[in-house]
Amino acid sequence: MDERLERYAELVVRVGANVQPGQEVFLLPKVEHHELARALARQAYRAGASYVHVRYQDSHVLKAMIGLGPDEALTHSPEWLKSFFGSMSGNAMIATTGDPEPELLADLDGERVGRAVPQEIVQIRMEQLRENNVNWCGVGAPSEGWATQVFGEPDVEQLWEKVAFCMRLDEPDPVAAWRDHIARLKAREAALNDLHVDALRYRGPGTDLTVGLLPNVRWLGGGSDSSTGITYVANMPTEEVFTSPDAARTEGTIRATLPLPLSGQIVRGLELTFEGGRAVRVEAETGAELVRSHLATIENADRLGEVALVTGESRVGQTGTVFYDALFDENATCHIAYGAGFPFLADGDPGDGLNVANTHVDFMVGGPELEVDAVLADGTAVPLIRNEEWQLA
Amino acid sequence: MSDRLERYAELAVRVGANVQPGQEVFVHGLVEHAELVRALTRQSYRAGASFVNVGYEDQHIRRAMIEFGPDEALTYTPEWLKTTAKSTAGNAQLGTTGNPEPELLADLDGERVGRAVPLEAVEIYRGLHRKSSINWCGVGAVTEGWARQVLGEPDVEQLWEKIAFCMRLDEPDPVAAWRAHLDRLDARAGALTALQPDAIRYRGPGTDLTVGLLPTARWGSARFRTASGIEYVANMPTEEIFTTPDPSRAEGTIRSSMPLSLGGQLIRGLEFGFEDGRIVQVDAETGADVVRGHLANIENADRLGELALVTKESRVGQTGTLFYSTLFDENATCHIAYGFGVPNAFDGEPDERMNSSRIHVDFMVGGPELAVDAVLADGTELPLIRDEEWQLAA
Repeated sequence: MDERLERYAELVVRVGANVQPGQEVFLLPKVEHHELARALARQAYRAGASYVHVRYQDSHVLKAMIGLGPDEALTHSPEWLKSFFGSMSGNAMIATTGDPEPELLADLDGERVGRAVPQEIVQIRMEQLRENNVNWCGVGAPSEGWATQVFGEPDVEQLWEKVAFCMRLDEPDPVAAWRDHIARLKAREAALNDLHVDALRYRGPGTDLTVGLLPNVRWLGGGSDSSTGITYVANMPTEEVFTSPDAARTEGTIRATLPLPLSGQIVRGLELTFEGGRAVRVEAETGAELVRSHLATIENADRLGEVALVTGESRVGQTGTVFYDALFDENATCHIAYGAGFPFLADGDPGDGLNVANTHVDFMVGGPELEVDAVLADGTAVPLIRNEEWQLA
Repeated sequence: MSDRLERYAELAVRVGANVQPGQEVFVHGLVEHAELVRALTRQSYRAGASFVNVGYEDQHIRRAMIEFGPDEALTYTPEWLKTTAKSTAGNAQLGTTGNPEPELLADLDGERVGRAVPLEAVEIYRGLHRKSSINWCGVGAVTEGWARQVLGEPDVEQLWEKIAFCMRLDEPDPVAAWRAHLDRLDARAGALTALQPDAIRYRGPGTDLTVGLLPTARWGSARFRTASGIEYVANMPTEEIFTTPDPSRAEGTIRSSMPLSLGGQLIRGLEFGFEDGRIVQVDAETGADVVRGHLANIENADRLGELALVTKESRVGQTGTLFYSTLFDENATCHIAYGFGVPNAFDGEPDERMNSSRIHVDFMVGGPELAVDAVLADGTELPLIRDEEWQLAA
């Protein structure tokens, strides 16, 4: 048994999802991730899980449905799968990322790819995120295909080393290292909350965007507490401090700085232009049709749900690697998401400003040339990030 | 995309499960079977499936449960699994077999391995099979691990060739070849049913067993028909004619002639002693505890549910290969199953005496030295099989 794999899985189970004795654990791996899924199952039972459920996902099955199936299949949510996702409430969940074939769906009709979303299942998951009643964690699973995408060759060992570095597995006591790291992010979270930011302004090449914030929606970094009272870290690695913006107050243009793998295609050179909070123009070198399909067919996908700040201390950023995976790339640098906001960040009723949508897609906008300012209620601009360095005390 | 794989999957979808336009399809396979599962999914959509539900299983997750999980987990059936089982009603199902690691669970406590069955899901599927409401088919999935087990080396290509031969993929028109083959088996089954045997007697090295039959149970091939009239072939390959016996009439001893891959362990040299229909003695060189775990914990697992006759025309038998897979090995030679009876042996409602259990385990008993006779009501014994050849007309 691969010792690194077991330590990795143990960290995810104990620090990430923080599986409690007697909880059921739901694993959502891809078929190609079965080695990690098996280690997660072992570690979950060792942590006292009463039962470990596994739902393997297979992009080739999805491809067959989109390519060969009837129209109604695209959005169908089978009863048993609704039951599976519904049962996650009050329990723990671990999902794996790292697409072994990120361009598998590239030759399919982008409009059908964008429409292929099991609506009722997404609804259930969004409701759980709103209720914050699942202690969960998303982690990366190295595979030959993912390594090929990242390095141009199937060097799984090199990918493992980078992932282990991002996960602080090189530290003598990774659990303690994670505790310190989370404390640093929590300090940033507190400083931003104390500042009472009214809006964020992004400036850089091809970018000049202002995003309004909501007064009763908090910033969050590191771990969070579920409504069931369990402290968990939803993403490992995580390097971000984030909030959900006022979806009605986005103006200007923003250019993505990293390629974005999305539904089996890679979106490159994405540029979004906003007016009155809504994306009114989508441009991209590749994959524009897929993003347009999302924005056109999923209600409120054209409004923002998240703004997240990441600086040069990021271990992911330090690897200097494009991972072609949102979990890693979004923790390399600043990012923004279109689609659903996070209701659990709101103190009281967030009102209509917090976006509600059946999707959430992060895209990366950070880099050495991006300047991020906090705009206060009186119009003062306070620098937050310059040259990828944190500017606030 | 391999053409052979797609033709194989197409045969399983069109002849095996016989997926109908508008049906949902439920595909079950091990994660290691992903290539075949994907091809079955593609071919199901091509055949007009409205939706293909894929449920991957993973023996290592099962191992983790048996090794590290609490006692209650062993027999637990999650709600979503019950819903999956119920949703198959009126739909098509495809399952893949061929264990990449047949001895994965060999070092675990055999009693726990035997107990680890999601009882409620099994119960639901059994009810649906009893009502003939699923058109289904089980097929083999080639993997390196399976090839290593069968051939001593991971020669996937050689295993593929054997399986393609068993599946009649070498024929110019495999669909027509399958139709002719099933007609032959049905003719044999018809002749045996017409004989109205009262019992079957097995004799051979370590074997002298007589099993009583039920008067309304007929012999048949694995070509079945759902209650809604969809004809399907439940196993591919299939070489057997079978019936379900009287569970209260089995006397004597029987020795298994091939190893049996069961619950992640290999059972070798299995021997049963029967009295009044019940297994009273279990011996084996390896894996006896798994079988004893079944018999001790699962009601009526200690009674017989199936008798099946296979002769040496069998394409599986002709390969001379031990596949370590029930689907293949049970079609190489005569076999018997302990556990639940097969409702498809009845034209109408099954005889209420048919064995009712939560499990069905086939083990192989055939070979050159096995003599099988039909015992008629007046005590006359008629030879059915000698030296692996069929003795009855048709």
